Amino acid sequence: MFERYSRIWARRAILQTLVRRDLRVRYARSWLGYLWTIIDPLAMALIYFVVFAVIFKRPDAGHKPYFLFLIIGLLPWQWFNASVNESARALVAEAKLVRSTNLPRELWVIRVVVAKGVEFLLSLPVLLAFVIVYVIKGDTTLNWRLVFFPVAISLQFVLQTGIGLLLAPATVLADDTIRVVRIVLRMLFYGTPIIYTLNVAPEWVQIALWFNPLSGILELYRAGFFPQPLQTAPLVVGGIMSIGFLVWGAITFARMERAVLKEI
Amino acid sequence: MGSPADRLPSDKGGRDVIAVDGLGIEFYRSRRRKLSLREIVLRRENTAPKATFWALKDVSFTVGPGEAVGLVGSNGGGKSTLLKTIAGVLLPDEGEVTVSGGVAPLIELTGGFLGELSARENVLLTAGLHGLDRHEIAERFDEIVDFAGPQVRQGLDMPFRHFSSGMQVRLGFALITTLDEPIVLVDEVLAVGDRAFREKCYQRMEDLLSQGRTLFLVSHSEADLRRFCTRGLYLQSGRLVADGAMADVLEEYNASSA
Repeated sequence: MFERYSRIWARRAILQTLVRRDLRVRYARSWLGYLWTIIDPLAMALIYFVVFAVIFKRPDAGHKPYFLFLIIGLLPWQWFNASVNESARALVAEAKLVRSTNLPRELWVIRVVVAKGVEFLLSLPVLLAFVIVYVIKGDTTLNWRLVFFPVAISLQFVLQTGIGLLLAPATVLADDTIRVVRIVLRMLFYGTPIIYTLNVAPEWVQIALWFNPLSGILELYRAGFFPQPLQTAPLVVGGIMSIGFLVWGAITFARMERAVLKEI
Repeated sequence: MGSPADRLPSDKGGRDVIAVDGLGIEFYRSRRRKLSLREIVLRRENTAPKATFWALKDVSFTVGPGEAVGLVGSNGGGKSTLLKTIAGVLLPDEGEVTVSGGVAPLIELTGGFLGELSARENVLLTAGLHGLDRHEIAERFDEIVDFAGPQVRQGLDMPFRHFSSGMQVRLGFALITTLDEPIVLVDEVLAVGDRAFREKCYQRMEDLLSQGRTLFLVSHSEADLRRFCTRGLYLQSGRLVADGAMADVLEEYNASSA
């Protein structure tokens, strides 16, 4: 196992090449390509803002200002959603390359998570713009817990790599995986404290939500922008689960590799 | 081991670059892909037929540095499977395959190319995938394009999918054969391109051989096999039935398949 990972590390230059290739394909057609990474979460945030803050008049579902709260939740969600969806297809989509190059196969999964992560980083200026506006208006203040922001990114990366390593070989062996993944992701969106905070949910739901690793990760993302105290339970559970997913994914991937290579 | 390979000394006397020991690879007769979640959930078992066959079984041999080995056998004999296993894109179910040094696989030549990108970008990125760094790519870029021919040079900035299939394969061949890897695997690709290009390919292969690279060639063309290979391996239904001088192995193959 250790040898596998030192091999992946040795090939990180190739990871860079692959990620660059992904981004180039994505933005090859026009600069609108980049605009979409911004428009998507903005449109989503607008929809939820209108529905919850204007129609249902419950902007207290999240921290104040609610729109900023939504953006901070939606950007990482977009990374999660795209990364899980595409890493499930990571091996199938590149079948020809997987068949013709002898690279550590985990790279195909990691590459998707990283490429989507770069898009996530590129969408952060949107967040920055809104933060500046709200700080100037005096609606919110920043605090030292901003240092948790990169911690949240790393934890999310670990989680998504684990999930991708589980799903990519499963998709090769059973086509249905993709459909299941899509439905689960759609449900998970509402099962993640993105448009609401943990403490507005009933108590038993809160406890269930701890076991969604994204709950803790979102807590970390938000900590620096809002004064509310950090909830430690979802953090601890989420951290352990993220690492657990990575270990489980790595073991499963190695075990399925042989069968996958024959089927692909 | 007592495999026929033992009788044939590796000419250069160096360490073996390829060592295959008791290799076996098992495939499912039906595509396992058909396995659906519905079946797993409803019947709690996979109803796909369990019938399997061995694409390769008990295959053992070693190849020394600089040897040129030709692989013969009828369709379904396991030639491509063996090549893929040596390339590391299939893993053995039984036995072991040890390859020391990198492999330049001329197997799926255009595998790394993307239709949307230009040929130039494709060369840069694919060369990177095969382990060349930025300097090496810059040094070899012109050589690669020259080899692929003037048509390819003219279309360098055109999307790759607008290339004819012949041009695509040329570029692929040019790229893979500039890699420094000590082992070259060739699967039936010499038949590509027009006659002039084929001649160029032959020339390139001979250059590689004279540089002391180890060559593994799969071909149905006797002329190609005789031209490049000194040693032959004959695979029949996944078993290694002959290993010896190319001419002898071809004779045996022709006798048994006639």
